[in-house]
Amino acid sequence: MSTIKENRKALLISPELCIGCRGCQTACKSWNQLPGQKTINYGTMQNPPDLTPVSFNIIRYSEVPSDTNPVRWLFVSRRCMHCGDAGCMKICPAPGAIYRTKEGAVAYDKDKCIGCKLCVAGCPFDVPRYDAQGKISKCHLCYDRIADGLSPACAKTCPSGAIRFGDRDALIDSAKKAGYAKVYGEADLTGLGALYAFKDAPKIYGMNENPAIAESVIFWNTVLKPLAVIGLGGIVAGALLHYVTIGPHKDADEEVKKP
Amino acid sequence: MSEMVRKASVEEIINHWILAGSCILLIITGYGFLFKIEPMYALFGSNMTMKIVHNWTGVVFSASLFATLFNYLHEALTYDADDWAWIKMGGGYLSKKQTVAPPMGRFNTGQKLYYLVILLAGIVISASGFSIWLVQGNRSLTLASHLMHNMAFVLFVMAVPAHAYLGTLANPGLLRIMINGTVPLEVAKKRYPKWMKEIGKM
Repeated sequence: MSTIKENRKALLISPELCIGCRGCQTACKSWNQLPGQKTINYGTMQNPPDLTPVSFNIIRYSEVPSDTNPVRWLFVSRRCMHCGDAGCMKICPAPGAIYRTKEGAVAYDKDKCIGCKLCVAGCPFDVPRYDAQGKISKCHLCYDRIADGLSPACAKTCPSGAIRFGDRDALIDSAKKAGYAKVYGEADLTGLGALYAFKDAPKIYGMNENPAIAESVIFWNTVLKPLAVIGLGGIVAGALLHYVTIGPHKDADEEVKKP
Repeated sequence: MSEMVRKASVEEIINHWILAGSCILLIITGYGFLFKIEPMYALFGSNMTMKIVHNWTGVVFSASLFATLFNYLHEALTYDADDWAWIKMGGGYLSKKQTVAPPMGRFNTGQKLYYLVILLAGIVISASGFSIWLVQGNRSLTLASHLMHNMAFVLFVMAVPAHAYLGTLANPGLLRIMINGTVPLEVAKKRYPKWMKEIGKM
């Protein structure tokens, strides 16, 4: 299990402050030198429809029922959640392909990625995508900027304060002071690196109420992995013990004993 | 020189070596994946190379496993009262006392059961491996395949060393069958009396 680092950095996303300008999407593309994509208008503000290998973040747009207003629009920034206990890192078989930076970001090294796509299945949030070269592609919290004390491009460009970047603990404190009883991602998966200040139930914002790593992955990690070593060791030790105590099979003796 | 009996055909010997070699290479690289063993990846040159080696060795293993169907399946599915007696005495391996094993055919009960286990686990590990490799966009299928692949792996890393021990140290002389396929007639009469009768040597 990954340990929570001191001075862990995070993003605090407040959908109620978002004006849907999608400057974050543009800034992300600009900093990460990602090409534009041809999309179609399918009747919503949300564009592109989902995360892609060249769109590390999107504003998810949804219109939800409201008692007080004729309309209620929700703009939710969606990207890698930089989980404290990251399913992608757990299931990834390639050393150094997905790693945690000292700021707590879940970053990756495409040269070390083997393109097995297990991280896609291991992620509780359906985040990792694969680029044209078959390598992992997702938000890395601008690990190259935050290492130098800069904000990630999305937070830097956000004009309304809907995406804020800073020390994780301080962001949680400020959200609580601002009146949010519960901050989404405070404790899930040993704490997410993308926190959400939700006024309502997370599912209204399109988020999973209780995000968790798949049980099969946990079983594999806690039971099968040790068993693969204990099993082999046990058999080798057993064979050795058998050889020393009982010894090899001898046909000749058998014959002697035969009447 | 004493008379020799051919126990394994040239095709059987070659295929068994292919199966054994590919299986061991898959287990070694499998441990590399399982524990992200960096030096293991380095041995193959890069992360990507080891994955390619693992996947394509998997293709060789699957083909070799398929070929064994024609060598061992029929015998592995044939059992009689002697097999039950063999199981009850643990094949004579569990005691220092010399015990006379029930008469066996070309393969003993343990070998036949081992083959069936390897065949079934082999089908599971091959199918799940190809699923992880080639089928994309189905999260539950990938996770199920990942689980199956690893459960079969645990079985393999236990069954294969046991098989190797029984074929070498535990039974001196058996390795010869893997090399030139022959057994001295005298030994064969003791170990495989049913088979010897079948082919008219006894």
